[in-house]
Amino acid sequence: MYVLRRWWGRNGLRLGLALLALSTALLVRQTQGAFVLELYRVISAPFQSQGPTRAEILDNAQVQELQQRLIELESQNRSLQELLNYNAAQPQKGIAAPIIGRSADHWWQQVTLGRGKRDGVEVGSIVSGTGGLVGRVIQVTNNTSRVLLVSDPTSRIGVTISRSRFMGYMRGQSGNRAVMEFFEKVPDVKPGDVVSTSSFSQLFPAGLPVGRIESIDFSKSPAPEAIVELSAPISTLDWVLIAPNSKPAATETTPPLTPPEPTLP
Amino acid sequence: MNDLLLLSPSLRQVINGLVTAGSVLACLLILPTRLAGMELLGVGPNWLLIWVVAWSIKRSPWQGALAGITLGLLQDGLTSASPTHTLSLALVGILTALIQKQRYIQEDFISVALIVFGMAVIAETVTAFQFMFQDLRLPDRLSSRTLSEIWNYHQQIALCSAILSSLWAPALYYPLNRWWQRVNMAEQLQS
Repeated sequence: MYVLRRWWGRNGLRLGLALLALSTALLVRQTQGAFVLELYRVISAPFQSQGPTRAEILDNAQVQELQQRLIELESQNRSLQELLNYNAAQPQKGIAAPIIGRSADHWWQQVTLGRGKRDGVEVGSIVSGTGGLVGRVIQVTNNTSRVLLVSDPTSRIGVTISRSRFMGYMRGQSGNRAVMEFFEKVPDVKPGDVVSTSSFSQLFPAGLPVGRIESIDFSKSPAPEAIVELSAPISTLDWVLIAPNSKPAATETTPPLTPPEPTLP
Repeated sequence: MNDLLLLSPSLRQVINGLVTAGSVLACLLILPTRLAGMELLGVGPNWLLIWVVAWSIKRSPWQGALAGITLGLLQDGLTSASPTHTLSLALVGILTALIQKQRYIQEDFISVALIVFGMAVIAETVTAFQFMFQDLRLPDRLSSRTLSEIWNYHQQIALCSAILSSLWAPALYYPLNRWWQRVNMAEQLQS
């Protein structure tokens, strides 16, 4: 008995630990290593990119469906215009350009692109990216060009509400917001409406998507104002598309945008 | 030290000029980048302002003003010339030179960072006033920035720019200051 107790005193702890290890190993084996895998997932979760969720997959499918319908409608529209002898410019091929630099000053919202005169970029060319209008080329060197973003306070664009065709002009507010001022006193507009360039714009061709209405302030005098959320995520864009501009005023140095007299609805 | 002493005075001056110009060029090149850790709300450090402070700290107000105007013109070229950046940077150069003359502040990293912080705020305020006067001179409803926009934006820019510039100031100040010290010492030893 004494011998057994002495042996237990010497090896009990060791035995206990060994048993614990064995049983744990057995448990892990029986559960197919679920605990280890779960722990691994928890630890590695912050370093992994999240896969598409169910909602995202559905969203993507919807986007694709809408894009396909859009292409279909665009081609229908084109053939109808051809039937009517409508003389519209065919969509021109753009130049893909990388964004190589941001503004060198905090007060200006500009980016520098890695394409210039040699690639056919001109002052006044339209720059767009994923999501919509990005800006306008204001300076060109041989291999770079500088773009004044639509989010710059000095870039003013004539815009229209796509749904109800109410006009206004838009001033950039640094970041991805802009303020739209309407020409009418009581415009038909609600949050979520799509904003695109209007035919009054002297610098941009009409019909380019710009953003969507975020909120509206009807109490503003003399005309209501709306906050526009720009649809192109300019701060995260890496590549943009430069398209030549057909507007004659665009090649001059930023003429002031003169809005038409406010008309009563 | 010795390698600089061995050179002829004219060659040393040429090298000094090249290093100084090279550092300005480096500042200009880094200005449009937004590396990780160099950006706060889309605002990066004002490298040219840091350079002007580093230059003016041991020089006369005139030299400071000259450097400010030169770099201001460079920045005008990189962004937009109206309003000009020369005014704010020249003021920064003059003020920095005046501060050091009175020897209130010991010369080390912390004080340099503090000076850069204050100067960044001053520079952005000057720019905001320039925008404001532009706005008052052309009281057009369509004119670019409204007063409230200018001053709201000024708060954001001034704070972000001041914090980032002061944090990055030693990275530029330390090597430049060492180089100029070595050149000065070599000149004194030779004369």
